[in-house]
Amino acid sequence: MDRAGSWLVRGSGFVIIASILGILLFILIEVGPLLGGAEVAVRGSFSLPGPDASGGIADDYRSRSGFLDPTGRITVLSIPEGETVLQTDALSGTDLLTTAAHRSGRFFTGTTSTGEVLMLPFSYRYEWNGDNRSVVPEPGEARLFHLAGPDEPVLLYDISVDPDGGTTVVAWTGGDRLTILQEREEESFLGDGEIVETRTTRSVPPTVSSLSLDDTGRHLFAGTTEGDLLSWDLEEGIDDAVVAERDGRAPAVTATTLLLGGRTLVVGRADGSIGIWFRVRDDGQLLLRRARVFETMSRPITTLTPSPRNKGFAAMDDSGRLGLFHSTSHRVLWTGEAPVPNPAALSFSPKADGLVVTGRNGFAELDLHNPHPEISLGALFGKVWYEGYEEPSLTWQSSSGTDDFEPKLSLVPLLVGSLKGTFYSLFLAIPLGVLGAMYASQFMHPSLRGVVKPAVEVMAALPSVVLGFLAGLWLAPRLEEVLGSMILLAFAAPLTAILTGLLFSQLPARIRHRLPTGLEAVATIGTLAVSGWLCLRWSAPFEQLLFGGPMKHWITDILGLPFDQRNAVVVGLGMGFAVIPIIFSVAEDAFSNVPRHLVAGSLALGANRWQTVTRVVLPTASPGVFSAIIIGFGRAVGETMIVLMATGNTPIMDWNPFNGFRTLSANIAVEIPEAPHGGTLYRTLFLAALLLFILTFAVNTVAELVRTHLRNRYANL
Amino acid sequence: MFTWLCGGALAVCVLLVLVLMGILAVNGFGYFWQKPVDLVVLDDGTALMGEIHDREEIDEGDGPTGRFRIRMKLGNRDLTGSDFRWIDQDRIVDQSRPADALVLERMEWGNFYGSPVELRRDGELLVAGVMDIRSTLPSLHRKKLALLADIHELETGAIGDVNYEIEERTRALRKLQLGGGDPTRSDASQAEIDARNRAYRQLAEQLSVFREELLRETLVMEAADGTRQEVPIGSIVRAIEPNSLDTGEAVSLYFSRIREFLLDDPREANTEGGIFPAIFGTVMMVFIMVFAVTPLGVLAAVYMREYAKQGWVIRAIRIAVNNLAGVPSIVFGVFGLGFFVYLVGGSIDRLFYAENLPAPTFGTGGILWGSLTLALLTVPVVIVATEEGLAAVPRSTREGSLALGATKFETTWKVVVPASAPGILTGIILAMARAAGEVAPLMIVGMVKLAPSLPLDHHFPFVHLERKFMHLGFHIYDVGFQSPNVEATKPLVFATALLLVVIVSLMNLVATWVRNRLRSKYASSAV
Repeated sequence: MDRAGSWLVRGSGFVIIASILGILLFILIEVGPLLGGAEVAVRGSFSLPGPDASGGIADDYRSRSGFLDPTGRITVLSIPEGETVLQTDALSGTDLLTTAAHRSGRFFTGTTSTGEVLMLPFSYRYEWNGDNRSVVPEPGEARLFHLAGPDEPVLLYDISVDPDGGTTVVAWTGGDRLTILQEREEESFLGDGEIVETRTTRSVPPTVSSLSLDDTGRHLFAGTTEGDLLSWDLEEGIDDAVVAERDGRAPAVTATTLLLGGRTLVVGRADGSIGIWFRVRDDGQLLLRRARVFETMSRPITTLTPSPRNKGFAAMDDSGRLGLFHSTSHRVLWTGEAPVPNPAALSFSPKADGLVVTGRNGFAELDLHNPHPEISLGALFGKVWYEGYEEPSLTWQSSSGTDDFEPKLSLVPLLVGSLKGTFYSLFLAIPLGVLGAMYASQFMHPSLRGVVKPAVEVMAALPSVVLGFLAGLWLAPRLEEVLGSMILLAFAAPLTAILTGLLFSQLPARIRHRLPTGLEAVATIGTLAVSGWLCLRWSAPFEQLLFGGPMKHWITDILGLPFDQRNAVVVGLGMGFAVIPIIFSVAEDAFSNVPRHLVAGSLALGANRWQTVTRVVLPTASPGVFSAIIIGFGRAVGETMIVLMATGNTPIMDWNPFNGFRTLSANIAVEIPEAPHGGTLYRTLFLAALLLFILTFAVNTVAELVRTHLRNRYANL
Repeated sequence: MFTWLCGGALAVCVLLVLVLMGILAVNGFGYFWQKPVDLVVLDDGTALMGEIHDREEIDEGDGPTGRFRIRMKLGNRDLTGSDFRWIDQDRIVDQSRPADALVLERMEWGNFYGSPVELRRDGELLVAGVMDIRSTLPSLHRKKLALLADIHELETGAIGDVNYEIEERTRALRKLQLGGGDPTRSDASQAEIDARNRAYRQLAEQLSVFREELLRETLVMEAADGTRQEVPIGSIVRAIEPNSLDTGEAVSLYFSRIREFLLDDPREANTEGGIFPAIFGTVMMVFIMVFAVTPLGVLAAVYMREYAKQGWVIRAIRIAVNNLAGVPSIVFGVFGLGFFVYLVGGSIDRLFYAENLPAPTFGTGGILWGSLTLALLTVPVVIVATEEGLAAVPRSTREGSLALGATKFETTWKVVVPASAPGILTGIILAMARAAGEVAPLMIVGMVKLAPSLPLDHHFPFVHLERKFMHLGFHIYDVGFQSPNVEATKPLVFATALLLVVIVSLMNLVATWVRNRLRSKYASSAV
C-alpha cells in the first residue's frame, strides 16, 4: 500500500511536471516544419505516344495530365495508372513547330511553320456522383494568331490573358522588330461587346533571346544574348525599350518568366544564375531593379516556370538539373536531377503540389511537399524586398484579399512593438515601483501597512482586460486633450513630494512631532492630489505657452509626426499600472530582507536613516531591484489585452510615443483565430509564441537566479 | 527629502488605485441610476427629448472657447438612427423637464423618449389621455410580461426539448448510416424524427399565437418633434416616468436594474439587458478548471516537497515551475489551441463524433479546452501555494505521525496534506481569481460573444463541455471594442468591469485572509 502510493505520487508528480514542461516541446514541434525544405519524390514515369510533346496540364487532384504534341494531338493520361483516357486531334492539318503548356495552366501554346501562334484552351470539368469524382478533360477551341508572313516561322513568343479576357500575343521572327497583337473587348455604343484587335510593333535588338508578357498584357519584357534586359509599357506608344541597368558584362539571358501576380520578372542566364527583378519607380520612370539572385545552378538555365500558388518557381538547366526556389524567402528549396531523359518542359500542378517534367518521349510526375516555402530566417528577421516596394523593408502583413498576395511575415516590427510598449510602461513603473517599495520597507509606519498592502494587492489582481478597457476607452480620449499635463506631471509630482517635505520641515517642531515618522506618504497624498488636479487644469495654458496651441496640433503640424488617439503613452500608463505591483512586491521583498543587523549597525555608527538607505540598503539589495525590474519587463513584454485594447494595433515600426504599434502577443490574439490549422501563418504565430515563451522564461530564470544568489548572500552576511 | 520622494511614489500608487476604483465605481454604479429626462428646444425650433450625459467645453482646434456643449442620449433609434447627439449650449432656447415624459425600455431599438398619446388594441382606440394610460398601462404590461415568461418557458422548455431530440436522433441516424447498419432501424428512427417534427410544428403554431397576443395592444408615443410611433406593449421592458419618480421608486428601479443586469440574458447584440450567461460561463469555466488544477497542483507539490530528493534537479524544476507563472498567458492560449483543440479535440472528433464531421464537436474552442488551458496557466500558483503550506507543517507533526507507526503514505495524506489545507485553499482561490480575470488565452480557445445555449442544461449529459461559452472579461473586450455603437454601450461595459473587479478582488482578499490565518495558526503551534 505504502509503496504503491509512493510510486503513484512519484509517477504522477513527475508526469505532471514533465507535461508542464512539455508545453515548450509542443510549441517547438509545431514551429519545426517552418524551416524545413521541400520534399520531392518521383511519383511515376510514363511514356507518351508521340515525341516532343508540350509540358503537361494537370487537374486539381493530379489524377490526369494532358499534353499537346507537334502533330496537333492532345493526349490525356490517367495518373498514376498511365492509361490513355483521351486522345484527340485538336488541330487537323496544321503542323506545329513547337508546343508548350502556358504557365497559367489554362491553355497550350505553339507555333506553326506558317508564321502563326497557337492558343489552345484546355481545362478539366469535375463531376460528383455522391463521393465519387470523375474528371473530364475539355479541350477548347483552338485559335491561330497570324503575326508574321507564311514563310517566317515564329522564333520567340509569349501570350497573356488578362482577367477581363483580353488577349495579348507577342512574337519575334528574327530581325529587329517585335509584333504585338492585342485583342480587347470594348463596349460599343449599343452596349454589346465588340472585339477590337490592334497590331503594333516595337524595335528590338536582333540578339533577343527571351520574351515575357505580364498578366495584364501591358508590360513586355525581353532578354538578350548580350545580357541586357529590356522592358516596354505597351500602353505608351514608345518604340524603344527601357534598358535595365547593365551590371558590367552580364551573361546571356536564356530564359525569363513572371511570378504569380505578374509583377516579378525572373531571369535565368547562361552562367546558371537566376535573378529576381522588380519594376521600381525612380524619378518618375519605371525601371527594372534586381532584388536578389540565386546562384545555385551552374549551367545555362533553359526553363523557368512560376508556381500557381505562391511566389516560388521551378528552374531547369541544360544538363537536366532541376531546382525549386522561392522569391520572397530567397530560399533554394530543392535541387535534383530530372527524372526523365532529355527533359524539355516543366509545369506545376494547379495546387503546386506536383511538377510535371516532360522529356523527349515521355514524362515524369514529381510529388512536391513544400508547405512553408515563404519562410526563412531572413524573411522572419531580416529586411526583405517585397513586390511593389521601393526598397527592402521590415514589414508584417500576413493576408490580403487577393490570391496572388505576397505574405510579408517579418517578426521584427512586432518585436519592436513589444519592446516599445514595455519601454514606455517601465518608464512609469520603475520609479514608482522601486521608490514605493523602498519607502514601504524602510520608512513606512507599520500602521500604514493596512492601507498599502490591500492597495497593491488590488492593483496586482486587476484583470488586464479592465485596465485595457479603461486605457483604451476612458483614458485615451481624455489624454489627447491634456497631453501637456503629462509633461507637467512628470516634473510636478516629484517636486510636489519634495516641496511638501521642505515645507513640512519648516513647520514648528510642535506640529511636526505630532506626525510620527513613516507617515510622509499620507501627507503627500493630499498635496499630490492637489498638484495633479492643478496640472490637469493648467494643461491648456501650459500647452499654449510651450507649443503655441494644443500639443496634439504641434506634434502633427510642426513635428510632422503621426498622432494616434490610442498610442504608446496610453499603453505606458495602462501597462505601467499593471507592472507597478510586480516591481513593487519583488523590490520590497529584496529591501526588507536586508539583514536587520546591517541597518542597525549603520545607524549605530551614526549614519542617519537616509545615509543608511542609500549606502547600505540600496547597494546590498541592488540585485533584487534588478530582478524586480526584469520580472516587470517579462510581464510587460507578454501582456496582451492592454496593448490589444489601448493601441491601434498597426504594425508600424518607430519609437514615436504618440503612435500606435502592434506587439507579438496582440498579433497572436488578432490573427490566430483566422489562421488555418497547420498553415504558414499558424506556424509563424506559434513561432511568435515561442519567442515570447523563451524571452520571458529566460528573463524570469535570470531574475530567479539573482534572487537566490541574493538570499544566500543575506544568509551569509 | 529622498524619504519624501519615496513616500510620494507610494502615495502616487495608492492614488492611482483610488482614482481607478473611483472611475469604475462611479461609472459602474451610475449605469443603473435613472437620469431625469430633459426637453430641449433649439434656436431653429427643433425639440429634443433625452437624458443629458456629458458636458464639455468646445475646443475648435485652438484652445478652449469658453462655450460649452452637452451630449444627450436621445434614443428613438428606429426614428433617427443614432442614440447620442452633441448640442451647443448656446443654441438652446428652452429647457424643461416635462412631468409626463415617458421612457420606454424596449426589447429592440433601445430606449424611446416621448410622451404617451393613447393605447390601442388591434388598432382600435382603447384608452387616451395621460392619466388613463397611467392607470391602465401597468396592469396590461404585467400581463404581457407574464405572457413573455410563458413564451420563454415554451421556447426553452418544450420546443428546446423537441429540437434537441430531433438533433440527437438525426445524429444517431447519420451514425447508423455511416456504420452501414440495417435499413429497418434507420427507417424506424426516421419515423421518430418525423413524429417529432410534427410535434415541433404544433408547438411553433402555439408560439405564434402567443406572439400575436403579445403584439395586440400598442402604446402610441409622440416623440419630441411630434412624430408618432406605435410601440407594442409586449416589446416594452420597462415604462418609466423619470421626472415624477419619488425616491422610493427611484431606488427600487435602481435595484430592479441591477437584478436585470445580473440575472437576465443580453439583448440587442449584448448592448442591453443582463450579462447572466457571461457570469454563468465564467463561474462554470472556473469551476471546471478547479477540478483539473487541484489534483494536478497538489500531486506535483506533494511530490516535490515530500517525496523527491531535494537535489539540484528539484531546485531546477521548482524554478521552472515558478517561471511558468511568468510566461505570457497568450502563449498558453496558443498551446491550448494547438494541443487541446486541434490535436486532442480533433482526435476525439474522428473517434467518437465522426457523424458530425466536417463540423467539429470537440475540435473547436469550447468550455473544456478553455478550462484546461487555464488550469495549465494557473497550476504554478497552486503548486507554489501548496508547497508553502506543506513547508509550514512543522517537522514535529510528521515525526509524531511516523513515530506512532503510520507509514509515509499515511503520514503524507492523513496528516501533512490535511494540515496544509489552508495553503492549498489559498492556492486554489488565487488560481480562480487569476482565471476569472484572464481573457487573452480564452479568446483563442473557446469564448464567443454570444453563446446560443449555456454549457449546463437539463438535457443528458447535462454538462456540455464542448459548447462555447461567454465570459465576463471577453464581454468587456467585445462589447467595448467590437460593438458598432461603442458610446451607447460604454456604461454597460463599466458595470461589467466593476463586477469583474469586485469578484476578482474579493477572491484575492479571501485568499490573503486564509493565508494569514494559516500563518498565525502555525506560528502559534510551532513551539
